[in-house]
Amino acid sequence: MLFFSRWKIIFILGAVLLGLLFALPNAIPADKRENLPNMFHRTINLGLDLQGGAHMLLEVDLTSVLEQALDNERQNILQEFREADRLRSEFIRIEDGAIIGRMRDAADMEKAMAILRETSKPVDVQSLSQDKTTRVEQVGDKGFKLSITAANIEFIQKRTIEQSIEVLRKRIDPTGTTEMTLAREGEDRILLQVPGAKNIDEIKSRINKTANLSFHMVRKESNNAAAMKAAAEGRLPPGAAFFVQQGGGALIVEKRTRITGECLKSASEGLHPQGQHAIVNFGFNIRCAKTFGELTAKNLGERFAVVLDEEIITAPRINGAITGGSGFIEGSFTLESARELALLLNAGALPAKLVIVEERTVSAELGNDSIRAGKVASLIGLIGVGLFMWLSYGLRFGTIANMALATNIILIAGALSLFGATLTLPGIAGIILTIGMAVDANVLIFERIREETHLGRPPVNAIETGYRRSLAPILDANITTLIAAITLYFVGSGPIRGFAVTLAIGIIMSVFTAVIFARLLTATWLRGKRPKTLPI
Amino acid sequence: MKDISLVRILPMEPKVPFINMRAIAAALSIMAIIASIALFSIRGLNYGIDFTGGTVIELDFKGEPQPDAIRATVAELGFGGGTVQNIAPPADLNLDYDFVRVGIPLQAETGEGGQTAQQDALKAVQDGLRASVGEFTVYSQDVVGSKVSGELRTKGALAVGLALMMVLAYIWFRFEWQFGMGAVLALFHDVILTIGVFSLTQIEFNLSIIAAILTIVGYSLNDTVIVYDRIRENLRKYKKMPLPDVLNLSINDTLSRTILTSLTTLLALIALYVLGGSGLRGFSFAMIWGVFVGTYSSIFVASPLLMLLKLKRGVNTGNAEAAVVAA
Repeated sequence: MLFFSRWKIIFILGAVLLGLLFALPNAIPADKRENLPNMFHRTINLGLDLQGGAHMLLEVDLTSVLEQALDNERQNILQEFREADRLRSEFIRIEDGAIIGRMRDAADMEKAMAILRETSKPVDVQSLSQDKTTRVEQVGDKGFKLSITAANIEFIQKRTIEQSIEVLRKRIDPTGTTEMTLAREGEDRILLQVPGAKNIDEIKSRINKTANLSFHMVRKESNNAAAMKAAAEGRLPPGAAFFVQQGGGALIVEKRTRITGECLKSASEGLHPQGQHAIVNFGFNIRCAKTFGELTAKNLGERFAVVLDEEIITAPRINGAITGGSGFIEGSFTLESARELALLLNAGALPAKLVIVEERTVSAELGNDSIRAGKVASLIGLIGVGLFMWLSYGLRFGTIANMALATNIILIAGALSLFGATLTLPGIAGIILTIGMAVDANVLIFERIREETHLGRPPVNAIETGYRRSLAPILDANITTLIAAITLYFVGSGPIRGFAVTLAIGIIMSVFTAVIFARLLTATWLRGKRPKTLPI
Repeated sequence: MKDISLVRILPMEPKVPFINMRAIAAALSIMAIIASIALFSIRGLNYGIDFTGGTVIELDFKGEPQPDAIRATVAELGFGGGTVQNIAPPADLNLDYDFVRVGIPLQAETGEGGQTAQQDALKAVQDGLRASVGEFTVYSQDVVGSKVSGELRTKGALAVGLALMMVLAYIWFRFEWQFGMGAVLALFHDVILTIGVFSLTQIEFNLSIIAAILTIVGYSLNDTVIVYDRIRENLRKYKKMPLPDVLNLSINDTLSRTILTSLTTLLALIALYVLGGSGLRGFSFAMIWGVFVGTYSSIFVASPLLMLLKLKRGVNTGNAEAAVVAA
């Protein structure tokens, strides 16, 4: 156990040196770090609880997206049946996540089924899979059932989440300069992490708005007091919708959407040329510019409503045909709120509603305090344990144990930097705990050596036996703690994972430093000194 | 070379008759377990928002904090059960934070737009405080909805359960079943007593306490395994010695290691408890307790249990030899 071949020594010292090299950048100020080779740019990532920032878990309302998809399919079928000759259904409705229907005449079934089968298209044209969007079954001689396939549901969910992430990125980080994380988490959630965020409320308002923009024609009933009263109570004329107006009031508008948010090419805030109040300028794409031109030409003198998320921003009267494909929205804007709206419109609408189901925000100030407290506690812990080891094992073996301990800390820092692991507040606790527990392996070995010496073995033999006999208990003891740490990593969440990471790395490194590195130190000392008795 | 070494002051071969104290220890442990279970069922735990859901905000008001005015505002806004605490650092720590921690219990998430209930409550409290108490900066805010807190509860219980099972599997694989059973019973002992202490002190029980419990599991097991390893070795070495004497000898053999490691771990943990800031206080408290309980249980619970479980001689010798050779 005390013989080390040359390559083994090189390997051990190389590992320690590498750990030191990877740990070193953490001690160098960021501006000087630039001059180092690329591989040494990595430092320990600080978690949001240490550097300050916002952590939010957003739930995507996938249920309503799927309901919407089903409803679209139903509208589509109704349309197809209408267009086909004399295809009359008794009913077509949505029940238990599927469209069920019955034809009046069994003779129509063949034709109906053909149309229904037409709705089944490949889920993803870009992929090679044969998955279809819908599945059609005949029920009895007149009935049918159409359901969305599992593959399609998965595709719709994936697409919805990806689009949501894309839109959120544009909204929260329009300039692309913020270091933030947006990632799918589990089935229906998005994890958003913004380091150093100060404007939490602004971020939240950008998450909460779907930003669904649509233009509708205002219906004449809006001027009729009785119709308005009925609408407010929920009784609407067919094909109409009832929306409240920003700043008070409400209007009855056509349900039919004339222009959607997808028509927008760009939006920006600005000042009204005459009034000097804030407005939002917009430009349509060519197709929508044409539509809008025709719409305004045909409806001179009428009013149209600009609706954002079921709320009317403004409802101007059409004074002339607008053919240029651009215009502005006037509302009760401040320059600030106009800029917000322009930003939301540019980023596009979210495909589904998002709800913040968890939020953890820490100010940079609190993060700093935590780091400072953690540093102080680690240092005091380290000094305390170091002194204790010297006191317990004397200068020689105490120094060996403490060199192992110091190497352990350096290797932990190096490993954290190398793997780009995130250090969290509980992670700091893990490191401090490791400081206390890391010496355990050395204590075990030294105690064993002491025992063997006491049994009358000569120094080299005692050390040899001590190392050999303590190996099994050290491995057993550390593997059990490692199992606990790994379980914690896979089941735990957020900062707790940071604890599991530092604890696991600490355990592995402490076994390496005590069993291998400290043994090398001991062997080197033995060879140099050849002591007759052991100072232990 | 002049050497001062503390360990030499300790007797080289302590002969404390630990096993003979097993009746007292058993009575003590059983009483403590009953007390813990009783406390847990009567008083319960002071769960943090990780597990209950709800909102905790820490606010730094300009000027002196006014807890009474804040309390009145929170009550006025209709958040019954809201808590207000003034948090200030120990004067000697040279940290300049002092803030007010406001807790709002979980709001019902039923009805239209119910899922935003927690965020709405957060906004209402912040707006209300800004209007009636004064300007502040947000130190931290945590908002957990009912769905997430439910998941965290399940995950926390799952983590502890899973870790216990995995560890049991490992011990079973490395030792005979009596050892595995003894170790796991000792672990249950530790976990139950830790929960009991949290019920007694009503210190907030949150996610980091789950981490602490798992670490206690690791630490206590670590201790137990060291003693067991020695028991197995001594069983092989002294084939004629009665089991209680082997247990006593093994515990005494490993005693100085047990004491030293407990002390260094405690040193680090006390530094963390005193200097590590309020965020880690609950965690380090749990760990400090865990070191005591874990050390106690390896000596007074795990080892005597081997007698109770009727550990057989002879069977366990081959395995131990193999382990040393393989390692």
